[in-house]
Amino acid sequence: MGLIIDLLQQMSVFLVIAYIFTKSPAFRPLTSESLSWRHKLLLYVIFSSFSIMGTYFGLPVQDAIANTRAIGPVLAGLIGGPLLGVATGITGGLHRYFLGGFTAFSCGVSTTMEGLIGGLVCMILLRRGQAEQRFNPLIALLTTLCAEGLQMGIILLLSTPRAEAFQLVQAIAAPMILANSAGAALFMSIIRDQRRMYDHFGAMFSAKAFELAERVLEILGDGLNHKTALQMAQLLHRWTGVGAVAITDRKQVLAFVGLGEDHHLAGSQIMSPLTRRAIENNQTVFADGVREIYHCTISDQCPLSSALVVPLRVDQDVIGTIKLYEPRRKLFLNINRSLGEGLAALLSEQLMHSRYQEQKTLLAQSELKLAQAQVNPHFLFNALNTVVAVLRKDADQARDLLLHLSRFFRKNLKRSSDITTLEEELDHVRSYLYIEEARFGDRLSVNLEVDAALMSIHLPAFTLQPLIENAIKHGVSKIIEPGTINLSAARTDHGVEILICDNAGTYTEHDQSDGLGLQIVDKRIKNLYGPSYGLTLSCQPGEMTKVSIKLPLPESMESKA
Amino acid sequence: MIRALIVDDEQLARAELQALLEATGEFELLASCANGFDAIKAINEHQPDVLFLDVEMPVINGFQLLSMVDAERMPQVVFVTAYDEFALKAFEEKTLDYLLKPVEAERLALTLTKLKHTLQRGQVPSYTTPELQRIPCCQGRRVKLVDIEQVESVFTDISGVHLRTAEAQLCTDLTLKVLEQRTPLLRCHKQYLINLAFVDEIQLLEGGTASILTRSGHTVPVSRRYLRQLKERLSF
Repeated sequence: MGLIIDLLQQMSVFLVIAYIFTKSPAFRPLTSESLSWRHKLLLYVIFSSFSIMGTYFGLPVQDAIANTRAIGPVLAGLIGGPLLGVATGITGGLHRYFLGGFTAFSCGVSTTMEGLIGGLVCMILLRRGQAEQRFNPLIALLTTLCAEGLQMGIILLLSTPRAEAFQLVQAIAAPMILANSAGAALFMSIIRDQRRMYDHFGAMFSAKAFELAERVLEILGDGLNHKTALQMAQLLHRWTGVGAVAITDRKQVLAFVGLGEDHHLAGSQIMSPLTRRAIENNQTVFADGVREIYHCTISDQCPLSSALVVPLRVDQDVIGTIKLYEPRRKLFLNINRSLGEGLAALLSEQLMHSRYQEQKTLLAQSELKLAQAQVNPHFLFNALNTVVAVLRKDADQARDLLLHLSRFFRKNLKRSSDITTLEEELDHVRSYLYIEEARFGDRLSVNLEVDAALMSIHLPAFTLQPLIENAIKHGVSKIIEPGTINLSAARTDHGVEILICDNAGTYTEHDQSDGLGLQIVDKRIKNLYGPSYGLTLSCQPGEMTKVSIKLPLPESMESKA
Repeated sequence: MIRALIVDDEQLARAELQALLEATGEFELLASCANGFDAIKAINEHQPDVLFLDVEMPVINGFQLLSMVDAERMPQVVFVTAYDEFALKAFEEKTLDYLLKPVEAERLALTLTKLKHTLQRGQVPSYTTPELQRIPCCQGRRVKLVDIEQVESVFTDISGVHLRTAEAQLCTDLTLKVLEQRTPLLRCHKQYLINLAFVDEIQLLEGGTASILTRSGHTVPVSRRYLRQLKERLSF
């Protein structure tokens, strides 16, 4: 009985050492899924030491040693496979062998066998695809139980004299089997818990990084300027817990948050040689605070001593940097380093995307302006000529015409790139049509048929007018017979369809200015609503030209439908 | 009085110009036409001194209209347009003048002076007009443009000028002379033009005349006067 207590005491010392081990960097390899040769070698050294220690802490019993040597080889085998198990077993066994005593040989052999058993169990579990079970304390317990049983058998078999061996086994079998199995199980449970903690920590960090990235992208949607830079710096500072965060463009500091913000001021020129190096060489610069120290060039009192500077790139050009700092007393965490680099890459992507978007919108706008400028003089002078003619016989109508003309041009000038409602668009078109109907007289009639519920739907300003203008300029005005334009807006199964039909059927794709106008209208709708919306054009020569505009139904209307 | 014709597809534009012309008291307005087809008819019928011609018109524009007018009967031309003065510049030297809509009375007075001088000198304007690609024809109430490549032959009779294609026979307001001048069609008889691409057989007759059989099986007479010309073109 006393022996059991003694062995358990000894095992406790063992477990304390094991616990310390799992907290040390040497434990790291065990957190990864597969072990490299270097890691296996490390584990061999560690578990061999455990095995030798087990023998040292052992208690002399009848010229033999009651011990916890088995735990090392069994766990080494379980975790690292037969080879590691056997190697650890041989080392522990040889050590025991050279200590002498009548069980020296049998114990040496049995320790090797115990390592092998651990390894075999590991192999079986791997083959069954139950790799994680290797870290199950119960399996460690059972494996050690079997291994210790086997050891007792080997002692009985190989040790002489037999009588003494039998006596010895009688005395130590129960305490050793119990102590080793329990020890192995507890050791394994410590290892498993530590592994889980690492996993959990990793998962938590990933989640945090993703959330941070999402928030940063949200802010950057408005582009990189003093305001968004400050918001981002504050966010990064809060989430990473680093001493300070700065965001710069190529020339000046856009924002600085954290320690030293009293003298690192937003709007000041970039002074730090580290940052200049990062910008000039287009590469990440890291002053870890040990080998290379960050020296503040502004103030001697600055508490910051380590810094990471990551360039922000658009199309390979550096447009600025993100900087993370830590003060003298704190170590720069690797995790923050990789986070900083990852974020910079992500931001670079986003910046490029937003620049691309901006250019696309600018292009569409300038194209639109061009088209507006191109069409106006024709329409204007013909309209004026119509007014002049009408003035001879009907001053009131002439006044109406001029008012509509003024209204039409006012709207033309005001609305450039914004989004408007169908109602506004129709209003714009009505002014235009009022003048054109007067101008063409009997040769033009227009039918409007618009679902009143659709008046509030949104579409890019200047969508309908160019299409109506095309229908007149390239349609009705090209035929001798009376022309008709039908403009309708209705709900369909998939959204809203606006149709503009004329009875001329004179559309030709070669008509450059016509094509350009249609393209811009189409592009702007697609920019607003996505590629499944926009214009489709069909023409039956001599019969009709039909332009269909597809728009989505607003969500508020879907529920009513 | 200067005998004038207005051609513009917009009714109000015609009315306005008419009012301006009347105000000068120097013009006799023969007709006011809404499109090129009516204009050809009116020109052939009235033989005006001057044409006030809009450029942008349906189917036949102002320039095309001029290529459908017999060169010998060509009136003076004043283009009237809202904005296309750039296109007109190229034509300017050959036309008498051009006016921009809305037309100012003072500007019209200048045109009138210029017009009077030109008419006094008795100059016949000559415009190098492009070859006709398509011939305007009437088919019932509809107007149809026939590609010159499809025309087999053209002939005149008491009711007017007729185009014959493989499928149909249509009448046109263009004169035989204009078609001879502005298309590759060849004169083979006082009353006939032939498209050589459709000649299937030529039968030489007594008295130095001949008879052409076209691909679609019609006969076209060749008079003695034009047979030599035909022989030269076909080198036989």
